[in-house]
Amino acid sequence: MAIEVLRPGVVVPRPGILRRFRRAVLADPLALTGVAIIALLVALAVLGPWIAPYPGQGAGESNVPARMLAPSLAHPFGTDGLGRDMLSRVIIGARPALVVSLLVVGLAMLIGVPLGALAGYRRGRLDAVIMRITDLFLAFPPLLLAMAIVAALGPGLDHAALALAISWWPWYARLARGTATSLRERPFIEAARSIGVGDATILRRHVVPNSITPILVQATIDIGTVILAAGSLAFLGLGASPPTPDWGLMVAEGRTYILDQWWLSAFPGLAIFVVVLAFNLVGDLLLDLLDPRGTK
Amino acid sequence: MSAPLLAVRDLAVSFVTRDGTTTGLDGVSVDVSQGEIVGLVGETGCGKTLTGLSILGLLPRTARVTRGSITLDGRDLLGLPESELRRVRGSSVAMVFQNPASAFNPVFTIGAQMGHVLAAHERLPKEAAGARVRETLAEVGLPEVDRVLRAYPHQLSGGMLQRAMIASALLCRPRLLIADEPTTALDVTIEAQILRLIRRLQETRGFSVLFITHDLGVIRTVSDRVVVLYAGRVAESAATEALFGRPSHPYTRGLMAAVPHPSARREALASIPGSVPADVGVVAGCAFAERCPMAIERCRTERPEVRDLGAGHLAACHLADLGAVT
Amino acid sequence: MTRFIAKRLAGSAAVLLGLSVITFALARLVPSNPAAIYIGPKARPEDIARVTQELGLDRPLPIQYVTYMLDMLTGDWGTSIGTKRPVLEEILVRLPATLELIVAAMLLAVPAGILLGVLSARWQRRPPDLVVRVVSIVGVSLPAFWLGLLLQVLFFRTVHLLPLTGRVDPDLRFSSPIVETTGLYLLDTVLSGNWTAFRDVAWHLVLPALTLAAYPIGLIARMTRASMLEALGQDYVRAARAAGISERLITYRLALKNAMIPVTTVVGLTLAYSLTGTFFVEVVYNWPGLGTFTVKGLLNLDYPVVMGVTLFGAVAYVVINLVVDLAQSWLDPRTRLA
Repeated sequence: MAIEVLRPGVVVPRPGILRRFRRAVLADPLALTGVAIIALLVALAVLGPWIAPYPGQGAGESNVPARMLAPSLAHPFGTDGLGRDMLSRVIIGARPALVVSLLVVGLAMLIGVPLGALAGYRRGRLDAVIMRITDLFLAFPPLLLAMAIVAALGPGLDHAALALAISWWPWYARLARGTATSLRERPFIEAARSIGVGDATILRRHVVPNSITPILVQATIDIGTVILAAGSLAFLGLGASPPTPDWGLMVAEGRTYILDQWWLSAFPGLAIFVVVLAFNLVGDLLLDLLDPRGTK
Repeated sequence: MSAPLLAVRDLAVSFVTRDGTTTGLDGVSVDVSQGEIVGLVGETGCGKTLTGLSILGLLPRTARVTRGSITLDGRDLLGLPESELRRVRGSSVAMVFQNPASAFNPVFTIGAQMGHVLAAHERLPKEAAGARVRETLAEVGLPEVDRVLRAYPHQLSGGMLQRAMIASALLCRPRLLIADEPTTALDVTIEAQILRLIRRLQETRGFSVLFITHDLGVIRTVSDRVVVLYAGRVAESAATEALFGRPSHPYTRGLMAAVPHPSARREALASIPGSVPADVGVVAGCAFAERCPMAIERCRTERPEVRDLGAGHLAACHLADLGAVT
Repeated sequence: MTRFIAKRLAGSAAVLLGLSVITFALARLVPSNPAAIYIGPKARPEDIARVTQELGLDRPLPIQYVTYMLDMLTGDWGTSIGTKRPVLEEILVRLPATLELIVAAMLLAVPAGILLGVLSARWQRRPPDLVVRVVSIVGVSLPAFWLGLLLQVLFFRTVHLLPLTGRVDPDLRFSSPIVETTGLYLLDTVLSGNWTAFRDVAWHLVLPALTLAAYPIGLIARMTRASMLEALGQDYVRAARAAGISERLITYRLALKNAMIPVTTVVGLTLAYSLTGTFFVEVVYNWPGLGTFTVKGLLNLDYPVVMGVTLFGAVAYVVINLVVDLAQSWLDPRTRLA
């Protein structure tokens, strides 16, 4: 009956999150651009071989007579040292970028969420142990641990992916623990416990599904961040190796010629930048939606 | 009678949001005379805080004054540019808020914060400023003035903070003090102290007070006159004892009946059935009509005018002069 | 407060201990045959056996760990396979160059970021806010290595304004050599009054510092904005307005002081970022610091170097976190005077 002082009488129905998301995206041109770019990325990842003008070159076939050509109508992104069309290379590179990123984030969630949920729900000794381990992993500066792991395992895209997943899972463990801790006090969880439902079932059926929203939001933002991380590792030579059309690797390959053949590094790097930017824009929007205080 | 110090006439405030426009205040008039304590009472959401904020021009961004006037000593406040309003705030009209702990800045000492207020209005040399702050703190009954000066808000109790907030408001000798639920967040015993303090200060210094609260008991203790608000409109306005002795508006009567009496033994707690209208701006008749036990057809179609029942006792009810308590 | 400090110190020590276990595990357990890698590809079985014994790799793991810990604590961090010199020494020699870069970047990023964030909050929803928000989101999305390359092309190739790579012009070694006292060239040149070198060093520092500062500026601006908006929405701001205090004082003193408290955490985060961000910037600009050295070690599988730097970086991060925590609790009177 009591009506809030500042908004007497206004009763706003709360539409579902998907509808709110759509409304918010359409209202914000920046977020809209972000969503469009992500859609483009997915399209390129799926349809790359059919969209790229020279798919074979994208994968690695060389065409030496056409080497080092500046951007033109025939080759909008120019050609590289082996005559390969850069546009095609960038397009084909979308798939490994996205796939690796999804794998890393997926793996990190797979390891981190159950561990974190368990820790937050059970509390006590288990919580302390798991959290100490999480703290240890988080005590490394970003990427440093991943670099060390790749050095230990040897370079390669798969090792880089594994290293990144190992560096990332603690964040999800922390997130999951946070939500689990607040959830365990809720009446419906207590009710389930009191009728004898086992811990594993409670976790699986109640805790995790109810925590999923902030975790998924974080995961979405992380896809962009991981693409950047994987690209960075590749740039240093710790990730994919030639002739993979990895964007970071391409930037590194183009570096020697940067002063005169700027397009070799410019476009692959631009791809990374634009993709990360898009995920950050969308991530911002998602965070604003989730924020109950609406400090926007 | 001389002109009132504060004259709020037919004030209407609306909120404009993405989802539409709603009315917060729908024609509220309140007068506060020189040296008078006027209580503004009503339930949550009736617009009493809005009225207080409007006087100082502190409405939230979504709110707009759609009609009416607010004059202080004959001077129009609503039309003032921000720079002029800032000069009024804190010096001619000061405000005290409900939660003293959050009204103070956690990272500055009380003394520093009072210094900011003083510096905003008067250019005093450091010693004179310090002396004024000390005097005022002593005047509100705070022991160990030096300790309070050097303390951070989290180091003081609620009661002490409220006294400090009152001191801060009185620093520049305002003519009107707006107190928005100053004791709601305090213990009953502290509440009594603060109320006594406000009365004492008012007597010594002679400023007027607009006392906003939802608590009838507090209103009775402290005010000279009472204005009862309901759903953004004035329901009744009278001298305190007249209001409590002969409540003329059905809402006022309902409010008083709803107050539980610790002495009398009752079967059930009385309450007013129904709820406050969602948007009073679209209500054609009396805002209270659908919950009123005495409502007639006219109440639903025609908005009652505020009528003088004699000796300044005003009520907005078609049936008001048909007499007293049922 | 002192109890808080003690607790945090103990916690940090525990973390460092755990870190040493992880780096040890990485160094010993993961490479299939550390001894073979130590010697190189031409190893013969007898050599491998000999080196294994020399390096103590045949002793049980717990003993290896203890030896490892004792070595670390006494400053023996192993020997670089590449340069054949002690790892700790190599790290310390190259540290000043990296420090200079990081400090320059931070000195640029922190004030700029905070200022942008405050302006953005003050003029919320108006042009300055939009500009700052775009700048900050671009800043945190830019790959540092790409930005570095772009800046090089722009400011060396397109406009010949700034040097391409390195810390100092190699010719200066003969004309105005730098007397190294601290290893921080800006400081050293000032101390010896070598103004030609000072100008040159400063000029060389511009692009790398800018590149490294991009992400921190973006992040600090964003967090400052959010923090300021939160502070500006608080009751005490409304009370200050009601008391007639000017909007300017409210923004730049009353709200800002509160907003700075969470911002210290962000500054710590950006410092941590630059610990590894510097690798990329140094590689692009051929900066002779810890970053280039580490990357070389990574590519050459120089495990002692990699493990040494990892441990060093982690220790630095732990120290940064500790300092940030302490600073934050000191800044907030509610924790300082609990």
